[in-house]
Amino acid sequence: MSVGVITSLSSARAQEALEIVPEEPEQTEALPLEFHGFVSQGFLKSTGNNYLAQSKRGSWEFAEVGINFTKTLSDRLRAGIQLFARDVGDIGNYDARVDWFYLDYRFADWLGLRAGRTKLPFGLYNEVSDIDSARVPVLMPQSIYSLRSRDYLLAQTGAELYGLVSLGGLGALEYRIYGGTMFADIANTSSTLRIERLDIPYLNGARLMWEAPLPGLRLGASLQTLELDYQFSGAAVANNPGAPMGIASAEISAWLWVASAEYAGDRMLLAAEFSRWYIDLDTTVPTVFPPSNTTSERYYVMAAYRATPRFTPGAYYSVYFRDIGLFSDPNKSCDRLGFRGCGRQNFQHDLAFTLRFDINPYWLVKLEGHYMRGTGDVTSALNDRRPLVQLEKNWALFIAKTTVHF
Amino acid sequence: MALLLLALGLSRGRFPAAARAQPVPAPAPVFLIVVHGDHPEESIDGRFLGRVFLKKSTTWPDGSPVRPVDQRMDSRVRQRFSEQVLQRSVIAVRNYWQQLIFTGRAVPPPELDSDEAVIRYVLRYRGAVGYVSGTANVGSAKVLKIR
Repeated sequence: MSVGVITSLSSARAQEALEIVPEEPEQTEALPLEFHGFVSQGFLKSTGNNYLAQSKRGSWEFAEVGINFTKTLSDRLRAGIQLFARDVGDIGNYDARVDWFYLDYRFADWLGLRAGRTKLPFGLYNEVSDIDSARVPVLMPQSIYSLRSRDYLLAQTGAELYGLVSLGGLGALEYRIYGGTMFADIANTSSTLRIERLDIPYLNGARLMWEAPLPGLRLGASLQTLELDYQFSGAAVANNPGAPMGIASAEISAWLWVASAEYAGDRMLLAAEFSRWYIDLDTTVPTVFPPSNTTSERYYVMAAYRATPRFTPGAYYSVYFRDIGLFSDPNKSCDRLGFRGCGRQNFQHDLAFTLRFDINPYWLVKLEGHYMRGTGDVTSALNDRRPLVQLEKNWALFIAKTTVHF
Repeated sequence: MALLLLALGLSRGRFPAAARAQPVPAPAPVFLIVVHGDHPEESIDGRFLGRVFLKKSTTWPDGSPVRPVDQRMDSRVRQRFSEQVLQRSVIAVRNYWQQLIFTGRAVPPPELDSDEAVIRYVLRYRGAVGYVSGTANVGSAKVLKIR
């Protein structure tokens, strides 16, 4: 057989190999089960105040682990679940829980439905605030993405409508509308007050993001409202007329909104968000817990640059102010500019620098430093129960963290 | 007569035809977009293609499901496709998928090892779309132009 014939036959067979397909192409496919996971371990060290854990003496209580499974059942239907456990100071203690689970049906690009326990689309990064591999900083700006409030702000059990509406040359609009509730663990840390019950009758919200024609630029806003109904007992409310049979009630209504802007280029990330949270507290024991109406203000600006495929530095400046009503309180000399006279317990500035090293596609290491001014986001429980006004006003936090993900 | 023959020779060029300058062939495209041979369209919008591979768009204009297929992250053709169509590096796209994977919002397209595997995939699943190197043998798959 000549070389020419052999070559010709080989080419023919190669051609046949490309065309050995079923007579009718398949419409659906049983895609394999996908699973992904991550393990993170960090170390905290602070000066002045304990933050998140007993960090003044150095703490390894900063770990997270998660694993998820996703099954694409058809071109439009998908189901998934993620298990998660963490230990951050007194939070979590490695109690494994279902982080999210859902059934997701995509009718069209502009309309999809998710049902189950889904992460809340609040702001740019709420959904990824505890996914170390998905962000540059170790700690996302705590003014908006508080690690300690994760149980309340990260996910809801209910349903969500979502979609992407193309605007042609004007980009696209992504919307998400959700409603449901959440189930939060009760943490009793007071010796005089015990939370007997916590109900969250509703948690609703929406997010609208405009994906601009400039690739990587998006602008948007999020809104969320929820109610928390507490029943509590203890020496603090015993014999109070508002606590029949020793049980008092409190209702917290909250409205949260955030305006967001992000430019995510190939190497450069720029982001800024501004948020206000309106919290109304009403109780049956006003002498113990006076009703209140507070509006907190939270904002940050952030930048990161992927200098090389393995090295990404970043920085952000974050501000939390507990109650903007202080600015207009005639009994206080609280100045919005620099928060002079506002009391260190009412605000917290956070200037952070991060170095992210991607050792390989599955392993990364981060080093981060924070310069803090104010104690508004510090907890008394971690600082010998001293009032926040007595804690160090200027302090620092250093974090080292490594994550393996797949 | 001699002058006539000389004029004809000059009008046809001084050199034999075989030695005349040959037209420069167009360079092979860096990558080709491939779909099933029965796909109704001859071209595809570049922005739509980008949204498909980021799973922001999940249907063709006719409403049928679209099924993107990637190549391995370290493949040259994927790098070029990512830079030109997605307008971001493979690393940036990987970070994008990290966010979606761990929030449960989506999973990335399957990654195949070769041009041949991609072509087999698009021939097997109507609605599938992939990319192969510009010199790949696409067989009975259809090549779409990016508009």
